[in-house]
Amino acid sequence: MPLLPQRWRLFVILLIVIGLPILTGLVWLILTSLFDRVHGLIPQGPFGPENWRFLVEPSIQGRPPVWVALFNSIVFSAAVAVIEVLVSAMAAYAISRMQFPFRRTYLGFVLMLHAFPAISLIIAIFYVLRILGLFDTLMGVILVKASLELPLGIWLMKGFFDNLSWEMEMGALVDGASRWTVFWRIALPMVRPGILALGTFAMLSAWGEFILPFTLIVSGKSWTMALYLQSFMGEAFTDYGLMAGVGLFYVLPVVLFFLLGQKYLLNIYSGGVKG
Amino acid sequence: MSGVTVRIEGLVKHFGRVEALKMLDLELKPGELVAFLGPSGCGKTTTLLLMAGIYKPTAGEIYFDDNRVDQLHPRERDIGMVFQSYALYPHLSLFENIAFPLRLQRVVKSEVKRKVEQTAELLGITEQLQRRPGMVSGGQQQRAALARALVKEPQLLLLDEPLSNLDALIRLSARAEIRRLQQDLSITSILVTHDQAEALAMADRVACFSVGEVQQYATPDELYERPANTFVAGFVGFPPMNLIEGTFNGGFKAKDLGVAVPDGHSGGKGHLGIRPEDVRFDGDILGKVLLIESLGRDALLTLDVGGNILKAMAAKGMESRPGDEVKLSFPQQWLHLFDVNGERLDR
Amino acid sequence: MRRFGAPLLFLLPASVLILLFFIIPVFVTIALSLTDLSTATIRNPSWVGFDNYLRLFSDPFIPKILGNTARYVILTLTFNVVMGLVLAILTSLIPERWGDNFRSLWLLPRILPPVVYVFVWQGIMARAPFGIISEITGVNQSWINAAPWTTIILANGFVGASFGMLIFTSAIRAIPRELFYSAAVDGAGTLQTVRRVVLPLLRWPILFVTVYQTLSLLTSFDYILLLTNGGPGLFKTTVWSLHAYKLALSNYFGQIEFGLAAALATFLVIIGVLVSVVYMRIFNFNALVSQPKIEVN
Repeated sequence: MPLLPQRWRLFVILLIVIGLPILTGLVWLILTSLFDRVHGLIPQGPFGPENWRFLVEPSIQGRPPVWVALFNSIVFSAAVAVIEVLVSAMAAYAISRMQFPFRRTYLGFVLMLHAFPAISLIIAIFYVLRILGLFDTLMGVILVKASLELPLGIWLMKGFFDNLSWEMEMGALVDGASRWTVFWRIALPMVRPGILALGTFAMLSAWGEFILPFTLIVSGKSWTMALYLQSFMGEAFTDYGLMAGVGLFYVLPVVLFFLLGQKYLLNIYSGGVKG
Repeated sequence: MSGVTVRIEGLVKHFGRVEALKMLDLELKPGELVAFLGPSGCGKTTTLLLMAGIYKPTAGEIYFDDNRVDQLHPRERDIGMVFQSYALYPHLSLFENIAFPLRLQRVVKSEVKRKVEQTAELLGITEQLQRRPGMVSGGQQQRAALARALVKEPQLLLLDEPLSNLDALIRLSARAEIRRLQQDLSITSILVTHDQAEALAMADRVACFSVGEVQQYATPDELYERPANTFVAGFVGFPPMNLIEGTFNGGFKAKDLGVAVPDGHSGGKGHLGIRPEDVRFDGDILGKVLLIESLGRDALLTLDVGGNILKAMAAKGMESRPGDEVKLSFPQQWLHLFDVNGERLDR
Repeated sequence: MRRFGAPLLFLLPASVLILLFFIIPVFVTIALSLTDLSTATIRNPSWVGFDNYLRLFSDPFIPKILGNTARYVILTLTFNVVMGLVLAILTSLIPERWGDNFRSLWLLPRILPPVVYVFVWQGIMARAPFGIISEITGVNQSWINAAPWTTIILANGFVGASFGMLIFTSAIRAIPRELFYSAAVDGAGTLQTVRRVVLPLLRWPILFVTVYQTLSLLTSFDYILLLTNGGPGLFKTTVWSLHAYKLALSNYFGQIEFGLAAALATFLVIIGVLVSVVYMRIFNFNALVSQPKIEVN
């Protein structure tokens, strides 16, 4: 708010207090992964590389090596991001900049899907993937994940394309470009902030995705990090140290992204809604 | 490069129910610069975009020489275009901006370099070629936009308000420069502008637009001296022509003002036009000074003449103050007579 | 048709994917709900009309599941909206840079992979020596089992609060500065300004967040699945969407019941359509579809 209240420091303290659980959780994760034994937040034993043994052991109780899961997760989020950005950008460009019949209807439809809770379709999607022969493949989950986020992506990218200058595009056409060339050489480079925002969002969202791979992937060779970590849950003896190690390992790239792209993320996580 | 003949026949453009362009017939001679002049929303930019192929005509035909082009894609029309905002690509250097049309034509690299540098030289922006549009001045951006339009040696050059984003000072020199270039290259050109001074100064012929129609298509001199109707009369020339509503019956009468007119017209109601600079301060018409605005060398007087408000240009030396009575005359050779619909009577 | 070749090409990939993973699944869900497809009848399922829906009415566990769902949605929603509001207001009352940092902190639970996030909750709620709660209170027990609902609502709430927070923050930013100045000139203190200027102006955003989150909470189940898997015990924390999911896709009592699950999911799909319609109303749709200024493709 434009006027800073005199007692704003009090509010800062208040915010720290309500934010404490989040910070505590993070600290707990880090400490638990680093030390042999931790009582609450107080490290008891020596520094424990034992918790990180998953990095070198080829297989922990029949699980695939963590590197396979890591590789799959990287492929998964990169592919989802590329497909999502590309397909959304193409559709958004057409909706924003081109004339065709039923353009209004198409946009209305996309806007409706944007709010549609896609997870309620998971049972049917399971079926569709089986029919397509993509069940239990990374490719299948990639397509599903990218598709379910398409409406958001199209919506977001349309906003960016809407703000491009028409004269710029007219100029390119007169200079001898086709719409396809205009899209690749003029429009796409100019919506770079949008591509970065959507790409980051898609990447993070795919990186964390659990339900889809959990439902649509069975074999260990296609596991992602989410499945790898989840496989330790609900065991008779819970090895918190090891799991914290895996968890921290899994979460590090996210934290990096988070620190780099805070500003972008604050915008996109409200779902492109203007309050 | 040598210019084409451009022929527009019965061109019509509707946007939904809006008639942006009602019916246009126009011909441009090779190497001619024609200005489309008019207020905003008059259809001049619409016509330009139809020429470029950005819009598709609702009806009518466009020919470049003898080739019908109105259904062709912009890239098949061989035109160059400069936009009001210049429409330079911000992510490319000026060099790449200018090279863009050539790259699309897959011109060989050495040739691209030669042509871009030659064009840049012509426009005096060689020094700035490696910079991005955001890093150079408005004037340089404008030159780069012109260079991009000219580099592929188009058969027709379209200029959409190319000068209106420039500072007043640069605008005057840019005007002269564009005109010089256009004449040197003898490229057929269309200039869209709302600035009548610009149109009169640069163009061989001017098409004066209003509400989707061309009101008059003539040389600048003719437009000024023989405006075809009251719209053109009021739009061309500054300060605008005085248009007095009244009655013709041998002479012209409006309220308490009576003026002798050529040929003793008696067509009933109509308009009498006289430019402020044509009003003479001698004679027997009485006027009362209401307001004096100094224009530097001259002064613009607002007068009450027999119940009609008129403007007149007076030399600076003339001593008069608001409230003074002045004597005027309206020389017959400078009078413009229009009928009740605003059409010129003595065509 | 050639005229629209280019836009069709641009729209093709998106259209195919949307068809495959949105439109067809909607119809598949409805179609499945009219069959008796299950582990037993996997070879030759048959049409059973509305039998599955009738079975729902007579299922003795359905009232419990409905109650769970209501509890889950209402409590989580309250936490989300209230916390979102508190965070938005507090972070707006402190210097911008601080405010952004706190907002980012609250975004973290949403950005963390759910599995990691849930694991941290499990750890904190675990028995000593790992569980912090057990350490602090001295009551050594699995707090997830002891207080499953509290855990679920807090865990979901910490994720969900950021949505309201972001929407409310941008709404607060959109309030003209003059209103704050004139309130200050009129002698209003911070609390009074919040109560008399900010809150009334947040009415629409609050309504929007409430409706939107109600409907999306109804269909979400991933954190419950990971935290308690619907337990402990029989259906203790099973909500509607989780029940549908487990009936269809996890080996629940060794029997997979696609037909019944699809009937449950059909209700969720209907809710989804409702969310979408509400969503459409929020936007001024006509303003979004201005005509393109280029007519060639």
